[in-house]
Amino acid sequence: MNPPDWTRHPPALTPGYFSSITRSPREGLIPLDPALADCTGPVFGAGDIGPMDSDLIRNAAQPGAMALGPRIIVHGRVLDEAGRGVSGALLELWQANAGGRYRHARDGYLAPLDPNFSGCGRVLTDADGGYRVETVMPGAYPFPNGPNAWRPAHIHFSVFGLAFAQRLVTQMYFEGDPMIRHCPIVATLPSAAAVEALTARYDPDHDRPMDARAFRFDIVLRGRRATPMAL
Amino acid sequence: MKQTPSQTAGPFLHIGMMPDPARGVRPLSPVMPADPVTLYGTLFDGEDAPMGDALIEMWQIGGIWARTATDDQGRWRLSAAKPGAVPFVSLWIIARGINTGLHTRLYFPDADWASDAAMARVPAARRSTLVASDTGDGAYRLDIRVGGAGETVFFDV
Repeated sequence: MNPPDWTRHPPALTPGYFSSITRSPREGLIPLDPALADCTGPVFGAGDIGPMDSDLIRNAAQPGAMALGPRIIVHGRVLDEAGRGVSGALLELWQANAGGRYRHARDGYLAPLDPNFSGCGRVLTDADGGYRVETVMPGAYPFPNGPNAWRPAHIHFSVFGLAFAQRLVTQMYFEGDPMIRHCPIVATLPSAAAVEALTARYDPDHDRPMDARAFRFDIVLRGRRATPMAL
Repeated sequence: MKQTPSQTAGPFLHIGMMPDPARGVRPLSPVMPADPVTLYGTLFDGEDAPMGDALIEMWQIGGIWARTATDDQGRWRLSAAKPGAVPFVSLWIIARGINTGLHTRLYFPDADWASDAAMARVPAARRSTLVASDTGDGAYRLDIRVGGAGETVFFDV
């Protein structure tokens, strides 16, 4: 497995994002022999996915109802660093509703819950590494990080590739959102290119006309070797 | 192509990773060993405060995998296979404030951890942060400290 690319991932301590101050190791990471990192993980399959898991507009809605908010399609491919599609990757998604409120006991934001939206989705990549989900555009919301900090609209992604070292948690932003450049969590990223890599592009060729706009977000995992050690 | 960057999982990771089955998406099933032992402990931040909003995943030989969220006291508990040829389990920790998931290991005290290749790279004075205590009844305890005195060893996996 290729090593983590620390020109792309945020460092542990990023004082502008206050929560990192007490939650960042100060001793350096101990390097592992790359062969030790090739541990294969659980293999998830269709049996782990429910028929509505990738439809966040309906998967927590009352019968016949739908979530409130701008309807969007999020799609793309999961790839390795060589550009090969990663088939059978599992994506877990979660997000706030269209008003910027999470369905979570600890979220006390003023915006109301949507009784027809949970903000949880899941999808497996197809033979080419492709995936597609339908949801509503999440709202921006404030968070405690100084006098006035806001999160841009974003969707959280958790990705299982084929090996432990490919495990990734990240967030997807939306092209053109003016909140991106003000966000202390976005600012943990080490470069403008890293921010770009997390910004989904409006993709009108995949819109469903008179229904939903499409955004494209590709995910690149660490490259695998031809013969990972079966650890 | 360049790797997609990591971002923090934030405080509400439970929505996507420990979903409420009553709301449509059911939780992923752990891959359990035949004869499990219990691993448990408390997760602390760099100021000794328990981390009550974290998630820990365990990866072990044979595709054994499980995850748990910490409770509001920072406590976690997982089932693992008994120590065999490989004297450790791999742990991966994400939470609000953790920008890139942290990789560490739990070594079983009754296994031959001292001759493990990765342990050999750890300064001797810090090795004890990775070795669990046998608390009886097939249970092993390891407290994990993300920073501060006794900071746990984390690996660049």
